[in-house]
Amino acid sequence: MTHTDISRRTAPPVTEPPRASVTAPERRSARRGWSPRRRRDFLIFLAFAAPNLLLIAVFTYLPLLNNIYYSTLDWTLGSPDAAVVGLGNYVTFFTSDDAPRVLGTTAVFMLFTVGGSMALGLLVALALNTKARGTTFARAAVFAPYVLSGVGVGLVWLFIFDPGYGVLSWIFRSFGAKSPEWINDPQLALVMVIVVYVWKNLGYCAVVFLAGLQSLPTEVMEAASLDGANGVRRFLSISLPLLSPTTFFLLITTMLSSLQAFDLIRIMTPLGNGTSTLIYEAYLQAFGAYNRAGYSAAISVVLFAILLVVTVLQLRFVEKKVHYA
Amino acid sequence: MNSPLRRRQFLGLSAAAAVTAALAACGGPSTSGGSAPQAAADVDFTGVKPAASFDFWSNHPGQSEDAEKKLIAAFQAKHPDIKVNLVTGGKDYEEIAQKFQAAQAAKSDLPALVVLSDVWWFRYYMNKSIIPLDGLLKQLDFQLDDFQKTLVDDYGYDSKQWAMPYARSTPLFYYNKDRFAAAGLPDRAPKTWAEFAEWAPKLKAVSKAQYSFMYPALAGYAGWTLQNNLWGEGGGWSKEWDFTTDSDANVKALQFVQDSVYKDNWAGVSSKDSAVDFAAGIASATLASTGSLLTVLKNAKFNVGVGFMPGGSVSTSPVCPTGGAGLGIPAGVPKEQQLAAATFLKFVTEPENTALFSAATGYMPTRKSADMSAVLAKTPQIKIAMDQLTVTHKQDNARVFLPGADQEMAKTAAAILTQKADVKSSLTDLKGKLEGIYTKDVKPKLGK
Repeated sequence: MTHTDISRRTAPPVTEPPRASVTAPERRSARRGWSPRRRRDFLIFLAFAAPNLLLIAVFTYLPLLNNIYYSTLDWTLGSPDAAVVGLGNYVTFFTSDDAPRVLGTTAVFMLFTVGGSMALGLLVALALNTKARGTTFARAAVFAPYVLSGVGVGLVWLFIFDPGYGVLSWIFRSFGAKSPEWINDPQLALVMVIVVYVWKNLGYCAVVFLAGLQSLPTEVMEAASLDGANGVRRFLSISLPLLSPTTFFLLITTMLSSLQAFDLIRIMTPLGNGTSTLIYEAYLQAFGAYNRAGYSAAISVVLFAILLVVTVLQLRFVEKKVHYA
Repeated sequence: MNSPLRRRQFLGLSAAAAVTAALAACGGPSTSGGSAPQAAADVDFTGVKPAASFDFWSNHPGQSEDAEKKLIAAFQAKHPDIKVNLVTGGKDYEEIAQKFQAAQAAKSDLPALVVLSDVWWFRYYMNKSIIPLDGLLKQLDFQLDDFQKTLVDDYGYDSKQWAMPYARSTPLFYYNKDRFAAAGLPDRAPKTWAEFAEWAPKLKAVSKAQYSFMYPALAGYAGWTLQNNLWGEGGGWSKEWDFTTDSDANVKALQFVQDSVYKDNWAGVSSKDSAVDFAAGIASATLASTGSLLTVLKNAKFNVGVGFMPGGSVSTSPVCPTGGAGLGIPAGVPKEQQLAAATFLKFVTEPENTALFSAATGYMPTRKSADMSAVLAKTPQIKIAMDQLTVTHKQDNARVFLPGADQEMAKTAAAILTQKADVKSSLTDLKGKLEGIYTKDVKPKLGK
């Protein structure tokens, strides 16, 4: 083994060209020296961007900062007075029964709504990706619930689930069984809201999956068919891996939507008994009953932090993997 | 794009936005500290003239929007110099409370008169969001002696009057007369729950109804109507500020309720509105507000009977809580508007107008001298509600004075009635929650 003289491997010193030292007055002069065209471009840029920047600052960042500030207060909504408690509201949340209850409900709701919407959405997309008759109508029918008002959907499904006179109750009774207490029982209430949420949102997943399926390279599929791979094999070994960018994209977007689900929960279970996710608990604490505006703000900040993490994950991984072409 | 000037401009803009945001973040409530909050002081209206117009926020309790419009038209005919702007503040007491509190937080667009329910007015008192009415009642010569005393007393605290009764109700026992007759039962409400427990199997045997009795929907009503069961056994959610929630009497009362659902299997729990379920024939009897009376009579396809609330093994009277809503005057509006609102308040609580409102909704007349003969000729069942008023009981502090207590009671009731939870331990948990709310959110504001 030969000894290598490290110094020999060192790059030879590069003689940098003499840098022109730029003084402050010269920089100011350079700025003054903007051409009329550049100055005009800048003004046009400002004219277009400033209103949007202002709106974003006033309606997004300002409430966000306000909310963070309020989360440090012991403030009853409507009261003119409040006491600064620092991180007290966060300590209360994470050390009380509220944190496991609310975070647990949020996790269960997110897991089943995201999993359910994506799994059923994929199955529907596979069905719609055939050349059977009526797929255009079926595609519209599947997507329709996604664009319906959550309030309207919630009210209609409440009638279906009502243990007294709902359709489900009638089905149970026709088999001689008593209808479950879908609305009053906290565990069943969560199941009910998840079912309706999945029904409403699976159309979105189906349409995005369908677009992904239709953009898969046909030659790979044909080659696999020639090699004797059956439909299931082709799906598991080719379609599903090739759909991974779509799947990951849907995972992130449906997670974000699920974390922000409010209307169905509010309409179907106003008490939030068993269905109080982070966003609904924040609402209940401030407006629903307790009027704890500071505590509610702290829960909102926790939700914001979770959403931020999910968004960062999306930016770091999804952007690299999704093919937009 | 990377020119220093542009970067600096961007930085400047960003800094300006950040500073603006940070400055604004310093708004909101005052955090200067100081002594324990005191209630809003009585306002001196000497020399004040009523404003030319004011906003009246209502959720139109008992589908009263048309009746309110009639009252406003009549008021403006009598007082052409005061215009009343009726604003729909929500579809129920909770929604109007949210809107009112949001306006309080924003310190803008406040009404001069607002509907406030039994579980909300005390929070407004604690937050100094409403003014005491004593001075106005005196100045405008309200005939307080002619008001139903129990309904006025509901809004008294700290020796001051904070609201006046408006859409006031009590729960009533509703029953299906046809099914009672078919079961060979007397045409009356049961005197006690024990008596109804004997009737219930007979009712179930003769009818195809799912339930002999339907408990009211838990959200918003469990804490209210279950007071009847608790009081009948000598219990209650609280005695003043002593939380007797898990007392033996309460355990006995709610064990009976749970047994009626699970063990004896004659009762169910409404998911939305027991009055609707009853009118649809799903149950042979229920408890519902007097405010639902006209709707039930209109929708039911059978003869409807109403009666007093049943008593328990300890007490048969008074076991009926008062309820419903009053009208209050917010603190953050000009005196002129407050005076105009008080003038309207006096008008709508005059005997003929409270009778008109009662006829339109089924709510109880708030004045003793209200001529109800025409109303009773048309809807004789309202007489039962009026008679029951004499045996009503002020609600327990725990339900009406603690923010969120009603929701906690509803959750506890849900556990007992839909998950068969142990009654004693559920009530003990509830007691802990109520004490926590009192200690954190109420006691410091009472200055004690």
